[in-house]
Amino acid sequence: MEEIKAYIESGILELYAAGDLSPAERQEVEEMAARYPAVREELTAIEEAFEKYAAAQALTPAGHVRSRVLAGLTSHDAVRSAEPEKGAAIVAMPRPGVPLFYKYAFAASVALLAFSWSALFVTYNRLQDSKQAIVAMQASEQKFTSNARYMQKQLDHANQSLRVLHSPDYLIVTLAATPNAPKGAQMKVAFNPKAKEVMIDLNDMDMPANDTRHQYQLWALVDGKPVDLGVFDKSADSIGMLKMKEIARAQTFAVTLEPKGGSVNPTMDRLMVAGNI
Amino acid sequence: MSKTQKITLTETELLRALKARESVAAEALYDMYSSSLYGIIFRIVQHDEIAEDLLQEVFVKIWNSFPSFDAEKGRLFTWMANIARNLSIDKLRSKDFRNNSKNQDIENTVNFIDEQRNTAINPDTLGIKELVSQLKPEQKSILDLVYFRGYTHVEVADELGLPLGTVKTRLRMAITTLRKFFN
Repeated sequence: MEEIKAYIESGILELYAAGDLSPAERQEVEEMAARYPAVREELTAIEEAFEKYAAAQALTPAGHVRSRVLAGLTSHDAVRSAEPEKGAAIVAMPRPGVPLFYKYAFAASVALLAFSWSALFVTYNRLQDSKQAIVAMQASEQKFTSNARYMQKQLDHANQSLRVLHSPDYLIVTLAATPNAPKGAQMKVAFNPKAKEVMIDLNDMDMPANDTRHQYQLWALVDGKPVDLGVFDKSADSIGMLKMKEIARAQTFAVTLEPKGGSVNPTMDRLMVAGNI
Repeated sequence: MSKTQKITLTETELLRALKARESVAAEALYDMYSSSLYGIIFRIVQHDEIAEDLLQEVFVKIWNSFPSFDAEKGRLFTWMANIARNLSIDKLRSKDFRNNSKNQDIENTVNFIDEQRNTAINPDTLGIKELVSQLKPEQKSILDLVYFRGYTHVEVADELGLPLGTVKTRLRMAITTLRKFFN
């Protein structure tokens, strides 16, 4: 037992626990520990002391290390189990025909380019056609609009004519041609003595068109004296009823051709049409 | 500190699970021993990234060489600490490590690290200062050089100019002090 005690006292067990022995020395310690329980007991106590010392001086590694280490361990196992089974044939993959692929790819690109150009051309032509159609439609739309406006105006005049001509308050006086006027020349004057209104119908009028330097002038003969009722023009597109100056009573209406703007007294040798009420 | 629940097993349970290569064994192994092993590794290489790489290497080696561990011959931690120490020393002596690290006076190293890393010391273990105060300085320096710096007792004797017998005796006295303290 003295031997054992000396062995323990030598400090070799501490060196063993500290990993500081040669393989031969290690084996000797392990044999001694297996043979002598006192050595085993002492060794275990030393190991525990080291372990506690290490724990007391422990340093906690950074938090991310844990998952890395554990992943390393499990992947290590995974790699092992994933090793290919023996006898599994290793077959070379057929090399892809690289040049052929590019040939086809090039041909496809050219075809695609040609198709794109033709499609672009067709689209461009269609666009031009559409633009022309839009211009044409805008023109015809303008025509329709002005037509409609013109017809609306005609309708208004027609309504006004109807109102005047059908009213019992209006006297319709037809002015017939004098020798100064072309044959068949005539016009109508609507006269409402109650409202003192005098209107002429530009639609229903057969008078020669006046030039730009002359205008027709309407006169009323009241008790033998001519009274100016205003001037008017006759042109191809004259339409509607034209309201003249007011007068309460008259016996005769007459129209002379006067210089533009009218005259104070009627030029009798230019008397065109006249009519009695 | 970690959000995940730390896993702790009895040593018997851990050994059984390790033998069966259960993933819970890997986690328990890490949770129970990573700090102690990292303490050893870091004190040898003194570099965070290298120590972390080494810790991973150590666990891979523990995991893969576990079939060669014999519980009859010694404690699991002793075996693991030897792996950690050996891999760290190999790293320390490797050419690329020597090219990258500054030289530091060996005797001051341990205290220097402990001062620097004071906050990182495992808070679960109590009385580290008290423990250190129990050890005589000459005992502690030898203990740390051998256990934490990976010096052989022969190297320590050379380095400190002491007879081999004195080194061994002081190491044994240091351990005896520790045993008394822990009991």
